[in-house]
Amino acid sequence: MNPHLPHATHIAVHDGHILGVGTADDIDGWQEAWGPLTLNTDFAERSLLPGFIEGHSHMMEGMFWDYHYVGYYDREGPDGTVWPGLKSIDEVVGKLKEIQAARKDKDTPLIAWGFDPIYFTDRRMNAADLDSVATNCSVIVLHASLHILNANNFVMEAADVKSSDNSEFIRRDESGQATGEFLGQLGYYMAMRTTGINLLAIASSPETLVNFANVARQTGVTTATDLVNPIPAGSEHAMREAVDAEDFPMRLVVAFQGNTMEPTEGVARMQELQASNSDKLRFSLVKMVADGSIQGFSARLKWPHYYNGAPNGLWYIEPERLGDYLKAFTEAGIQVHVHTNGDECTEVALDKIEEALRAHPWPDHRHTLQHCQMATRAHFKRMKALGVGVNLFSNHLYYWGDAHINITMGPERAARLDDAGGALAEGVPLAIHSDAPVTALAPLFTAWCAVNRLSSGGVTLGNGTQNISVKEALYAITMGAAYSLKMENEIGSLEAGKRADIAILAEDPIDVGAEGLKDISVIGTMVGGHVHLNQGREG
Amino acid sequence: MPQIPLTIISGFLGTGKTSLLTHLLTQAGPENGGRRITAMVNDFGALNIDAELIAAKHGNQISLANGCVCCSIGDDLMRSFMEVMQQTPLPDHIIIEASGVAEPSRIAGFAAVDRQLRLDSIVTLVDASAHNVHSKDPYLADNYAKQIEAAHLLLISKPDLADAATLENLEKELATQKPDVPMAQVTHGALPINLVLGLNGDYEIPQPQEIIDHGFVQWAGHLNDMPRAALIAKLEKLRPHVLRAKGVLQDGEGGYVLHLAGGLITTAPYAGEASGHFVIIGKPQMPDAAALERIFRQNEAA
Repeated sequence: MNPHLPHATHIAVHDGHILGVGTADDIDGWQEAWGPLTLNTDFAERSLLPGFIEGHSHMMEGMFWDYHYVGYYDREGPDGTVWPGLKSIDEVVGKLKEIQAARKDKDTPLIAWGFDPIYFTDRRMNAADLDSVATNCSVIVLHASLHILNANNFVMEAADVKSSDNSEFIRRDESGQATGEFLGQLGYYMAMRTTGINLLAIASSPETLVNFANVARQTGVTTATDLVNPIPAGSEHAMREAVDAEDFPMRLVVAFQGNTMEPTEGVARMQELQASNSDKLRFSLVKMVADGSIQGFSARLKWPHYYNGAPNGLWYIEPERLGDYLKAFTEAGIQVHVHTNGDECTEVALDKIEEALRAHPWPDHRHTLQHCQMATRAHFKRMKALGVGVNLFSNHLYYWGDAHINITMGPERAARLDDAGGALAEGVPLAIHSDAPVTALAPLFTAWCAVNRLSSGGVTLGNGTQNISVKEALYAITMGAAYSLKMENEIGSLEAGKRADIAILAEDPIDVGAEGLKDISVIGTMVGGHVHLNQGREG
Repeated sequence: MPQIPLTIISGFLGTGKTSLLTHLLTQAGPENGGRRITAMVNDFGALNIDAELIAAKHGNQISLANGCVCCSIGDDLMRSFMEVMQQTPLPDHIIIEASGVAEPSRIAGFAAVDRQLRLDSIVTLVDASAHNVHSKDPYLADNYAKQIEAAHLLLISKPDLADAATLENLEKELATQKPDVPMAQVTHGALPINLVLGLNGDYEIPQPQEIIDHGFVQWAGHLNDMPRAALIAKLEKLRPHVLRAKGVLQDGEGGYVLHLAGGLITTAPYAGEASGHFVIIGKPQMPDAAALERIFRQNEAA
C-alpha cells in the first residue's frame, strides 16, 4: 500500500516501528547506524501486508462469546474454535438442548446469540421451541441484527407480558398470544429486567477486550474500532490497563457516543479523553447515530420508501439536534462519524455537516458517514465536495443482499447498496466494514464482499460499476480505514517510520484474486513489533 | 406488587415538553398527594427548576426537595429505565420526556413487558404556532402524525402565539383525527398535575379552584341512584369536551367506580360504601356548571 514501493522482499523492524522496507541490500544499509539486524525467515514463504484495520466494529463482539453462538454461518471464537452454522430452527433448538444438558448450573439464564430468522422462511421461532430447551430457567436467543430476540415462557411469565398492550414490538399470533419474539429495545429491557444480566453492558472488562482483540487478530486485524461507547467516567482507565499491556494483540480506537451528554459537555469530555491517548488506545472521534437499520425497517428512506410498503423508519435523533452536535464538535476540531443507513438520513446528515462547516470552516475535518448504505451518486458528489468520507457496510451485500432485493429495497435500488465503486468513482475516501458482532469480523471477507457483491443466495447485486478491484478493496481495509481514523500517517501501509503492524497471510491476495479472497489463511499478525500467531494455521 | 404508572410526554423539539414537566414536578408536593415522581428527561440543560427546590445534583441526576428525581436519558432510554427501576424506594410515578423524534408507542412498550410498570398515558404536545410547519416537515411529518396518533391527551401549546383562526383550524383538525381524545390548551406548561397524571388510574381529580384558574369547567355533586347506563349515555354526549370525570357511585346493580379519562369511559365494581360523589372537568367549550347541574341533577338531555 506504499505507492513508491508496492512490493518488497525484506522488512526491518526496530522498537515497534518499521525501520525499512526493500531488498536485502536496502535493509543491510541500516546496520551501520542501528547495529546488527537479525534475519528472521519464519515468514519467508508468506505474504506480508499492512495490518488490517476494522473501521467499524464493536467491543460487544468480545462480550458475546460468554454466550452461545447459534448463527447460520460458521463463526470463529476468540480461542480459535469454529462454531458451526446452524441451518434450521430445529438445529438451533437441538444445539440449545445440547448446551442445556451439558450445563452444571441449569437454573441460570441460558443466552444465545447470532440467530438470523431471515434464512428460515417456513416459520418463526416461538416460545414453545425454547420451552423445549428449558422451562425452569430463562432461555433467550438474540438475533444477529441485535434488534430482535426470542424468549421462552419462563421469561414472559417473569415479565408479566401484558395481553392488553397492542405494541407492534411484541409479535403475537392470530389469537393475540405473544409468540416469544420481541422487537427493539423493549425485548432487551425485558430480558435484562427478568434475568438481572446486563446484556448490552458496554463491557470494558479486560476479558471482553481480550476476547474482542483475539477475534479480530485471527483475521489479520491490527487496529480495530469500538465504534460507539458512552465511555462512562473512569472506564477509560480499565480500558487502558488492558489495551496497553504488551501482550494485548491490537490497537483500539474507541468512538465516544456523542449524545450521552449535551454538546458542550461532550466536547469537554472528548478533550479530556484525547489528552490520555496512548500508542495503542485512542479516543479520537465522536459517533452520532441518526437512524436505524434497513433490514429492521428502521432506516430513514427517501420516497418511495420500503419496497414492501413498510412505513418509513426511525430518526434516532432530531435532525436539528444532530446539527447542534455537529456544530459543537466541528467548532472544537473533533471528528464526527455519523451512522446513516437510509438515503434520507444520509441527505440530512450531509445538510447538517454542511451547516456546521459553514459556521465553522475546517478544511480537513474528515467527518465520515458510517454504513451509508443507500447513498446515491449525487450523495457521493456532495460528500466529495464537503470533504466527507464514507465507510460502507459491504458485508451487508452477502448477508442481507437477497432480502434487500426482494423485501426492503427492490432490485433497482438494491443494485446500488453499499456502492463502493460509486464512492471511488466520485472521489470519496472509502473504507469498508463488518459492524461486528452484527456480521463476522474478517476484513478479507469484507473485501471479498465489496469486490464480488455476491449475496448468500448467489445473486450479484448491481451491474459491475459498483464493484471495486482487489487492490482497491485491500486499500480500503488498510489505508482507507486508517484515513477515516486520521491515522494514515502511522498505520495502514508498510513504509519506513510507520508502526510495525503487519498481517501475515498464507498467500498473496493479488495472486489469489477476487474469488478466493475470503479463503486466504491468516497465519498471524505483528502489532508494534510483537508477533501473534494463529494456532494450527497452515498455508 | 403495585405497578408504577408511566406517563410519556411527547411532542416536537420546542413544543413545551420541558415547561410542562417542570410545572408537574413543581406541583408534586404534599398538597397534591405527595407523589414522588421520577422524570427521565431528554435535554437536561433545558430544565428550569427553582434553585430552592433542588436538594441535590450529581452526575446525570437532580433530586428535588419534594422527593422527585430527574435523570437524563442521554442516548439510551433502556439504560435509563434500568437505572430508574433499581431506585430504592421505587418512584410513585414515572414521567418520560420523549425526544422530539421518539415514537411514544415504542416507549409505551416498555410498560408492557415489566410487571412493575403500567402505562398511564401518552400526552402529546402540539405547538399551535408551528403546527403548519411541523405537519409538513419534509423529514419529520410522518413522525409528527404518529405522535398525535398515539396520544391519550392532546395539549395545544403556545396558543397565545397563534391567531384565533389558526387555533380554531388546529382544534378542528385534531378533533377530526382523534375524536375520542381530550384536548386542552396549555400556556408555558401551566396545567394542574392531576389533570395530566393519573389519566388511566385512581388519582384524585383536581381541586375546583385550580381548575377554574386554568379556565376549565368543573361540576361536582352527588349522583347516587342514576342508572349507570343513563349516566354513561350522558357522558358519551359530553365526551368531546371532557378531560376527566370520576365518580364512586351506587345504582340498582351495586357500587361502582366510574372513570372518564383519555377519552375512555371505564367502570369497575366498588366494594365499600359508595359516597355517590361525582366530578367532571372539561374544556371551556363544555356546558357550564349551571347547565351541567341541569343535565346531571334534573335529568336534562346533555
